[in-house]
Amino acid sequence: MTEQATQASVAVVLGWVVFAVTALVLPAWLALICAVASGGVCATIWRKTVAVNGFVALLAPFGIMLPALALRDVAVEFGLPVPGFALLEILLFLLLYTGFLLAAFGKLPFDFYRYGYAPKPVAIMVLVICFYSLLTGNWFLAAVAVIAQGIWTLGWGSSNWLDHVLHVVLWPVAAVVLLTQLI
Amino acid sequence: MGAAQVVILCLAGLSLLLSAVALRRDKVPVWRFAPPEEIPSQGTPRFETVFEYDITEGQAHAPSLVVTHKGFELLWFEGSAEAQADVDIHFARFERTDEGWLKADQGTRISRAALGAAMEPGQLVVTLGNTVENEARPGHVFATVVSVGGWAMASVADVKMGPQGPVSARKLNLSPFLNRSHLVKSPMVKFADGSYGLPAYFEMGATHGALVRFTKDGRVRDTVRMSGEGKPIQPMIVPLTETHAVAFLRDFDPSGQVLRCETPDGGQTWTDAAPMAMHNPSAPVAALSLGHGLILMAANDEAAPNDRLSLLLSQDEGETFHPIEELAPQGAGARYPMLRTLADGTILLTFSVGNKKGLRVLAFNSDWVAVQ
Repeated sequence: MTEQATQASVAVVLGWVVFAVTALVLPAWLALICAVASGGVCATIWRKTVAVNGFVALLAPFGIMLPALALRDVAVEFGLPVPGFALLEILLFLLLYTGFLLAAFGKLPFDFYRYGYAPKPVAIMVLVICFYSLLTGNWFLAAVAVIAQGIWTLGWGSSNWLDHVLHVVLWPVAAVVLLTQLI
Repeated sequence: MGAAQVVILCLAGLSLLLSAVALRRDKVPVWRFAPPEEIPSQGTPRFETVFEYDITEGQAHAPSLVVTHKGFELLWFEGSAEAQADVDIHFARFERTDEGWLKADQGTRISRAALGAAMEPGQLVVTLGNTVENEARPGHVFATVVSVGGWAMASVADVKMGPQGPVSARKLNLSPFLNRSHLVKSPMVKFADGSYGLPAYFEMGATHGALVRFTKDGRVRDTVRMSGEGKPIQPMIVPLTETHAVAFLRDFDPSGQVLRCETPDGGQTWTDAAPMAMHNPSAPVAALSLGHGLILMAANDEAAPNDRLSLLLSQDEGETFHPIEELAPQGAGARYPMLRTLADGTILLTFSVGNKKGLRVLAFNSDWVAVQ
């Protein structure tokens, strides 16, 4: 199932890139058709090409959050009511995620990543996210956390739950979103 | 309460259910090493050269020993140069006969293209590096795989081998940074419950050694870091009792010394790696326990990079070592030793020579060590 999940992630992430670019010059519905077509072709017909194999080698494991955010972005473009994140939440995420990555690089004297392998810490982290989501009404965040837990429990993809809800690409994405909202 | 809150409460309920399933399935790692066994005596001292392999073009390096039913298999990487896009994993298989060691087969074991096709998810494999036996899963090896960039962007892949090459493979999930910068060098460590831990290392930025624990189906279940002074990499772990082990690490900084750390609790925590009183030109070492606190080590024991390789012995649980044999003289370009034992007490030692231009495999026994 890891290969199928990867194909789906490739289709969504590459399709989203195409959507974001084509939506600048085309109507949203036409951009969506271009995105679905190009994402689908890349994930199936071109899956074994050097370019797509290299894309997978570079970014896998994709996890849930990255494709989920891509889908959310498209959904919002079409007016669907999918909750997003406030400026303060993005800022806090950037700070915490930067600390998390620094710790992973050994620049901070703790290793938070290892807690993503064990069921008990994962259970606590998911429930904390659900509680926070309950307070803010952000069902999207809770859904990503729980779907990630389901996939992790099934043994698909990464053996670390944190890989399912985080991705290094989120750092520049969050930074750009934060800057655009501030400007 | 709005619809969103109802959905979130349902999701929380589902999460509790998933947690119950995960907790029921989970087996918490046992942090007790398998007690080191004394290497059996063979009666008479033996020392022989089993394999000499030299090449005139390219590089052959990082030899590694895989123990088989009939003997052993030697794995190494070979290509135009280290980390180039034409490096594959080669092998030579040896069987013991009445006449001695017989080379039964030799060739390419893992090609980049075959590994890329076997990988799940399928992906590009640009070059290959250090490969060690996965002792927990017969027929599997751990390969250092680079898909993008150099060694600092490497990952460790668990590769299931078939007669023709890799059958399936997947990268271990060891880092949140695109799963990058972990490599392997040393043999696995056995635990009291029959499971194995993999010594690995993180090579980007502030380097550190790592001990990786697995679930029964080979997925990463936990990791523990070995960090400290210098830039510790390539941990060589030697259990001395169920709870006490010592690790020797290469200092990636050119400090000229071997780094050493210890665990008092079966590998759950490690003391800070610190330089020990032994010279080393930033090169990996190999070691194994002979029992009774004796540790045999193969190492470059000079600070200058002359690549002399010596066999050394410690009688104080790895605090100090004294040389017992010069295996390769100054200028021999000998590096990357690995030591393994066979069930009959044969000790195998392999290393590269001639600055990655050749390989050697030596076989000896504890009786020979005792008379040095």
